[in-house]
Amino acid sequence: MIPVSVVTGFLGAGKTTLLRRVLADPDWADSAVIVNEFGEVALDHELLAASEEVLVNVSTGCLCCLVRTDLGTTLMELARKRAAGEVPAYRRVLVETSGLADPAPILHALMTEALVIETHRLISVVTLVDAVVGTAVLERHPEARRQVMLADRVLVTKPDLGDAAAAEAAVRGLQAGLAVRAAVRGAVEPEWLFAPGDPVVPVEAVARHSEGVGSIVIEREAPVAALALTLWMQALAEHAGAKLLRLKGLVALAEEPMRPMVVHAVQHLVHPPEWLAEWPGGERRTRIVLIGQGIPQHFPARLLAAIEAEVAAA
Amino acid sequence: MTPPELRDLLSDALALWEVPGRVAVFEGGVELGGLRVTAAARDDLPIRWWIERAGQRRPCTSVSGLLRGVRNAVGAGEGEARRLRVAGA
Repeated sequence: MIPVSVVTGFLGAGKTTLLRRVLADPDWADSAVIVNEFGEVALDHELLAASEEVLVNVSTGCLCCLVRTDLGTTLMELARKRAAGEVPAYRRVLVETSGLADPAPILHALMTEALVIETHRLISVVTLVDAVVGTAVLERHPEARRQVMLADRVLVTKPDLGDAAAAEAAVRGLQAGLAVRAAVRGAVEPEWLFAPGDPVVPVEAVARHSEGVGSIVIEREAPVAALALTLWMQALAEHAGAKLLRLKGLVALAEEPMRPMVVHAVQHLVHPPEWLAEWPGGERRTRIVLIGQGIPQHFPARLLAAIEAEVAAA
Repeated sequence: MTPPELRDLLSDALALWEVPGRVAVFEGGVELGGLRVTAAARDDLPIRWWIERAGQRRPCTSVSGLLRGVRNAVGAGEGEARRLRVAGA
């Protein structure tokens, strides 16, 4: 399986600068990069000092609008060339989205297109937030907020030029517990940046945004029945719809309480469950974080409690 | 689910659906607008809830069905994603 990471961030956040830095690292030079530029004149890919054979520019439009065809086609064509020895045997793919892209359709494509998922695996979503204007951008642009809410990690860029602490606070206001670092001109370890998304939810104070954007953490000491979990996720997807951006966490299933099940969903699209060998830190309890907009704070927990009671009584 | 718990759940659901309204508890259930939701008697199983409005009485066999029924009854339409989709399936 070829790992795929998505690099997103609003216009001017420094995505291309970061990728130039990453590709300059000998350990990461064997990465294929797919650049999506919004506009008729594509420049970003010219700025990336990668081997041309593994640098693909998708400039026919915004990936989040064309993703159903373009991204999958591009990934598969690259993979075909890789298998045929027509391009270097890259070890991973980094997808740079346009600054205006909503990452959700891109993640959906990476998780659902049949040919893609046979050969590729979505590893992580990295979002860049500019320390200079990032706070204002997050306030004004819903695309930017969605980029943060769907992130596994956030890199605050240009901390030497702006207020990195304010940018980080704005980020945490959208997704509490998110891994955030600041770096000048992309000077951050790629191993940290592109590590698989962490399903372990750090439990912090629940973050709320003035427009109802925020994260909701659910913790349960008692194991959850698989049927209750499924019905809960189904009901959440049905009633929260597009308001539910992401759900991730560790679940102690009643049927298998000794090892944690990793749940991960983007809107109504759920990753097949995975299992960890043991509970991180020995904490054997369910921890789930929901990231969304306009979801009443207690609705998910109340819904889960009601469904659990119903399942238990059946 | 006790009537106060049902009130809290449905109040949250109304907010989620962006439907203005207030849910009030009465003995045996809750009321919202012209709608009454009551717990079914044990002998009614598998029916768990009744949604009642003038001249109509609709049974619900689950919390999920109850939410769906109330959602329709208050005019909030159907949910946006009826079925979970598993990536790769």
